[in-house]
Amino acid sequence: MVSHRFYQYWLQVKESGWIFANELRRIFRDPGVMVIFFLGTLAYPFIYKAMYWNEQITDIPVAVVDLSRSPESREFLHRWNAAPDVRMTYSCTSMTEAERLLRDQKVHGIIYFPRNYADQLADPLGKAHISLYCDMSSFLYMKGIYLSCNQVMLELMQQIQIDRYENMGLNEEFAWELVQEAPYSENALFSPTGGYGSFLVPAVLVMILHQTLFFGICMLAGTIREEKTELYRIPGRRRGYSAFRTILGRGAAYFVIYYTLAAILLGLLPRLFGIPHIGAIGDILRFNVPFILSVIFMSLCVGFFIRNRESGLVMLVPTTSLIFLFIAGISWPKEMIPVGWRYASYLIPYTWASNGFIHINSMGASLWTTRTEYLALWGLTAFYFVLAVAMFFTAGYLEDRKERLASQSEGDRPVLASEPVPVQA
Amino acid sequence: MKDIFWHIWQVLLRELQRIVSRPLYLGSSIGAMLIAIFFFMTLMERGAAEKMPVAVVDLDQTSISRRVCHEMQATPSVDIILLTNSYPEAREAMQQGKVYGIFVVPEGFYRDLVSFKRPQLDFYVTNAYTVGGNTSYKQMLTMANLASGAFQREVLRKKGMPDNVIMNRIQPVAIEGHMLTNPWGNYTIYLVSTVLPGILGVIALMLTVFAIGFELKSKTSHEWLRAAGGNYTVAMIGKLIPYTVIYLVLGCVCHLLFYNIAGFPVLGSHIRLLFGLLLFIMAMEVMGIVLIGCLPTLRDALSVGALYSMLGFSLSGFTYPNMAMLPPVRALSNLEPLRHYYLIYVNEALMGAPATNSLLPSMALVAFFIPALCVAPRLHHALIYQNYPLK
Repeated sequence: MVSHRFYQYWLQVKESGWIFANELRRIFRDPGVMVIFFLGTLAYPFIYKAMYWNEQITDIPVAVVDLSRSPESREFLHRWNAAPDVRMTYSCTSMTEAERLLRDQKVHGIIYFPRNYADQLADPLGKAHISLYCDMSSFLYMKGIYLSCNQVMLELMQQIQIDRYENMGLNEEFAWELVQEAPYSENALFSPTGGYGSFLVPAVLVMILHQTLFFGICMLAGTIREEKTELYRIPGRRRGYSAFRTILGRGAAYFVIYYTLAAILLGLLPRLFGIPHIGAIGDILRFNVPFILSVIFMSLCVGFFIRNRESGLVMLVPTTSLIFLFIAGISWPKEMIPVGWRYASYLIPYTWASNGFIHINSMGASLWTTRTEYLALWGLTAFYFVLAVAMFFTAGYLEDRKERLASQSEGDRPVLASEPVPVQA
Repeated sequence: MKDIFWHIWQVLLRELQRIVSRPLYLGSSIGAMLIAIFFFMTLMERGAAEKMPVAVVDLDQTSISRRVCHEMQATPSVDIILLTNSYPEAREAMQQGKVYGIFVVPEGFYRDLVSFKRPQLDFYVTNAYTVGGNTSYKQMLTMANLASGAFQREVLRKKGMPDNVIMNRIQPVAIEGHMLTNPWGNYTIYLVSTVLPGILGVIALMLTVFAIGFELKSKTSHEWLRAAGGNYTVAMIGKLIPYTVIYLVLGCVCHLLFYNIAGFPVLGSHIRLLFGLLLFIMAMEVMGIVLIGCLPTLRDALSVGALYSMLGFSLSGFTYPNMAMLPPVRALSNLEPLRHYYLIYVNEALMGAPATNSLLPSMALVAFFIPALCVAPRLHHALIYQNYPLK
């Protein structure tokens, strides 16, 4: 009795193994899926790395309108030009001229010194103004121009303050102490250069894995439908369905491929690319397990509704990637996302996976520190697994019953569950 | 000539029937676009980052350190969610993504301050999250300077100076930042005015590939050519007119929403901006024709189309400026229609530049028709002989 039951289980395991092998064969014979699975995951990271190669935007061209023409303003400009962020390419005599340069995109910023700049500085009670105009076509122009200018201003201001205190009759040492009384040190953590690539590439790597797996599975699901069978059917059979065996077998096939790809993309590439990678590799590998599993089961659930080989791509490609990226709180802080969207984001593995990966890889968190994301991914894995099993089982059961009733009413010979059907090439 | 219009009309009618026959066509164009519009217009209720969570490590625990906290909490851009006396705790909160910055008030800050020992304030910001990190950085920088200023103010007050005189001494130079055409530093304006047209373009490309590829796949291309009187150009024009109208209407909806309802600035001409959008959509459709013309199977063409069109968002240079990319990548970005649309958008909406400035990117968009002419014989051949492999 026991051995009989054991044999039954063994048969089911064997069947899952067969579904697994069959799914692998389907993947490798399908050029469309191969493009997405392998070309997408392996070529995309390099394109993104090449795009953000310089990490930082340097030498932003700016125009100077210096109406004061004083040693003070020249001193300021001299120091500012030494900053890596900007390069003064044009010196204009009027704002109109500078505005025309900005309009023609020859420069991305204008600095303007009013005529009374030096006089205001010389006046012990005066306050000098500098105007800065930034091109807003990219926020990085504004950041580079504004922060570097601010830095120069803070440096120069101390000198001016000391001069003024001395003029008031304070002795030099005391003036200096007064100005320097509470110094500060600023520390940028986790990415010393503050580069854009160091920030975005980790999130993009996770996105590439997430979306290619998602689209690939949806495509394979659509293909099954076109071959006049269903996801819950055991391949090669007309009758008989299994939610467990098909999900486990198919899932294992995707998992084997994608776990390897994830190890390459998330483990190897950050080291190869020289972007921040201070996390423990073991933690990343462990974190990848629920990440890949949850995406697989979510995609199987979505793929259940896809009727055509291609419709999944047409429907999902244009919108999902960008929505997933923004809802996850990477580009735009999660605190600023409306509550409704934030709750919706919890259902998407990308939200947890990208934040968790950034915490481990870029910020050196341990798996224990990032347990919220890790456990959430396991939660999503369980949720989508149960959902997929329930959907597959219900659909299989209903269809089987319908066919059984139909064949009984016609009085036909019931078709054997294991009757083989020729597999389509 | 009359004949040609009659055939175009016939193809158009046939296409309309196909569009309503399956939910996919309208779902992936109108449906997907409305979802995207709704998402991006509601995502950022406030355009600028406010109340970014930060931690304060107060090792001093005196009245002055508490005052620093109070003043910081009162600013709009940061929110102290963690007040602790242990730096590791704050660092862990940062690693968990709970805070974007840490402000450390050292032990004995007050004592050292009054005895002129120059205690040092430290602050740490994360670079792993750009917007949150930058916002908290700016605020903490201001706070650190204010702390220094507050002390100078106290000393000068004791010397009997009035406050307004003191302030000019503490801050003798001020920078007035002018963020042109987006004075609020509004992230929504900056983001959605390129992202939503971009999404519309991706839809146009994918659906064009699908609409033509599906004729090949289901072997209905003869019927299609017959309606066009055997003329390839007529067949293409008739087929793409209904889609182009749909996209144009969706584009106008975006335009109205951005510039009339949400009040985004347009310094230049609305007409030229919309015309640029139309050219962009047509360039994306034409790239769809090129893809299905070059790649035999519908599925492969769609896969490659997805990889190609999604790159446009990064290559267009609206997040990370094009000028900072490597020269070969910069050259590559010209192959993305979104890049040229973005240039038109900057000229028309943000700069109010004369029409001549938008001429070059417009010509570039028109140039996308050239590869489509090259694949035309190949695609026409395929429509007649249906010799594309089906799988």
